[in-house]
Amino acid sequence: MTTTYTVFQEQLPDLFRKWSQEYALYVPASAGGGFFDLKPWREGLEVAWEYDVAYNPPKRFLLPPRETLVRYDLRKYTAEPVFEAPKQILFGLHPYDLKAVNQLDQLMEGGSPDQNYLRRREATVIMALDPLTVSPTAFWSSIGGDHVNHGFDLYWTKIGPASFLVAVGSPRGEELLRAAGELLPATAADREAARRAKLRAHALARSNSLKYNWEETPRVLGRSWDSPVWRKYAVMCLACGSCNLVCPTCYCFDIREEADDRLEQGERFRQWDGCMLESFALVAGNHNFRPKALDRYRHRYFRKGKYIYDKIGELGCVGCGRCVRACTAGIANPLTVFNELWEESGNEY
Amino acid sequence: MSIKNFSPYVPRPATLVAKKQLSDYVTLFTFEQDNGKPLAHKPGQFIQLSIYGVGEAPFSISSPPEQKNVFELAVRKIGAVTQALHNIEPGQKVAIRGPYGSFFPVQQFVGKDTLFVAGGLGYIPLRSLLRYQLRHREEFGRVIVLIGTRDPKERIFTDQIKRLGERGDVEVLETVDRGDESWKGNVGLITTLLPKVQLDPVNTYVAMVGPPVMYRFVIADCRKMGIPAEQIYVSLERRMKCGLGKCGHCQINDLNACIDGPVFRYTDIEAYQEAI
Repeated sequence: MTTTYTVFQEQLPDLFRKWSQEYALYVPASAGGGFFDLKPWREGLEVAWEYDVAYNPPKRFLLPPRETLVRYDLRKYTAEPVFEAPKQILFGLHPYDLKAVNQLDQLMEGGSPDQNYLRRREATVIMALDPLTVSPTAFWSSIGGDHVNHGFDLYWTKIGPASFLVAVGSPRGEELLRAAGELLPATAADREAARRAKLRAHALARSNSLKYNWEETPRVLGRSWDSPVWRKYAVMCLACGSCNLVCPTCYCFDIREEADDRLEQGERFRQWDGCMLESFALVAGNHNFRPKALDRYRHRYFRKGKYIYDKIGELGCVGCGRCVRACTAGIANPLTVFNELWEESGNEY
Repeated sequence: MSIKNFSPYVPRPATLVAKKQLSDYVTLFTFEQDNGKPLAHKPGQFIQLSIYGVGEAPFSISSPPEQKNVFELAVRKIGAVTQALHNIEPGQKVAIRGPYGSFFPVQQFVGKDTLFVAGGLGYIPLRSLLRYQLRHREEFGRVIVLIGTRDPKERIFTDQIKRLGERGDVEVLETVDRGDESWKGNVGLITTLLPKVQLDPVNTYVAMVGPPVMYRFVIADCRKMGIPAEQIYVSLERRMKCGLGKCGHCQINDLNACIDGPVFRYTDIEAYQEAI
């Protein structure tokens, strides 16, 4: 059985202080305007325990928007790998975001293991937190985004006005928790309180739901290549890539480089790219393999609902609802798209 | 996790040893790896070539395997990297990663007839397989080469192709989409060459590389002639950036052209809407 402890809110400032000596510590906090984000912890920063969703997805800590891969010397024509892996603690990741991180772990390690990613991931401590509120655009509870049983070092659930149940996911996590001093093993009543808290969160998120069992999504898509739904929404697509940017499971990147002004040293880096951008599949001679917004829009949903599933057995969408909010044209709602495709195909699987 | 002290993104140096212009925009580059080793590629594979300070781009390898320590790329001057490549001279360096990707299954072609269908620059990657077959000529049946080019000015490897036709054991048919006063040969799309060859369809393997629009028509004609679909191999160009199946640019539905391709057996991609 998982080791669980009861931790009190009054212990946290001291824990945060101690952790931040060795790690860059990020906690959920207000980002203004009713938005929240994971922000660097500092003394006195108010933790937003009731945050609904972090504005930015956690991928930015593991696959930064721009990451140097290679440093080269133009005169000698030599090159060296660059690995950067700062020690960091991501405190307060909601389970759907943890699920997204687990998925990235799997995709980046599979095939040719991505060394830059794996090093960052190894240096990153993840402390998950059960949500107390739900973003109006989220739908994670209907696609299994609230059940994650691995990938965390510690998992926090608020069980009282000033107390948490903390489940241990790794020796590293337990060690970090011990910085609080003597630990109090959780009682059966505390564990029951945590179970109820999880059910409450799950129920809160049910207001937005898929109309069918999420595991049928790849089959629904399998019949929907020529569906009119793609055109209906894609005609409004501005090809801005905002949905790609905020998506916690989108990881496509471009590789670019910069040399210094004396053309002596340079670096090659990767930076986030998006399959919704017009040039994404463009090749030499100006041939574009996905020239139309429809091609790109459909590709993105196939990737989320079928291609990733066929590879690893889960949807490439965790239901965080960030894309719904980020889309200026109001067309990037996976829930709407999947539900419509399902209805259109006669509710069959 | 499988952490290693190695990055697949780090290229290794190679030196340009020869440069030969093939047409107004296409040049043949011969390189030698600085580590002295052969590239050890198979026909149909590609490499990522870097010009530091400019960028990196994928190129199919035009030379056959077993060619001592050098390898060849034929490159059209069309973007930043290819422009910079055209500006370097023998003795100067580039950097490479790879070889990457799938290749033509040469062993399956043994004892069979091979129909090469090369549209435009498609001759460049096919040349690797073709030259391998010519080196082991006795292992293969008929070798039939169909070449289609937009206009006579854009024809490449013209001397080699001429000698190919003179060997006596290779059947070469060429066409251009639009002729000019110098051109005495066939005019029309590459599909107009197919009826001119008498094939033993069940004994024929097809290796096909050309512009995206070509595949659908040539494959349909090959099928009409009775060539089994599983004997048709195509190489599909996409925007390979990482070469490692990660960056997402070269996806064909859920296939990655960089690791699952670029060479595909037609029956393996028939059902993929984005393939052909």
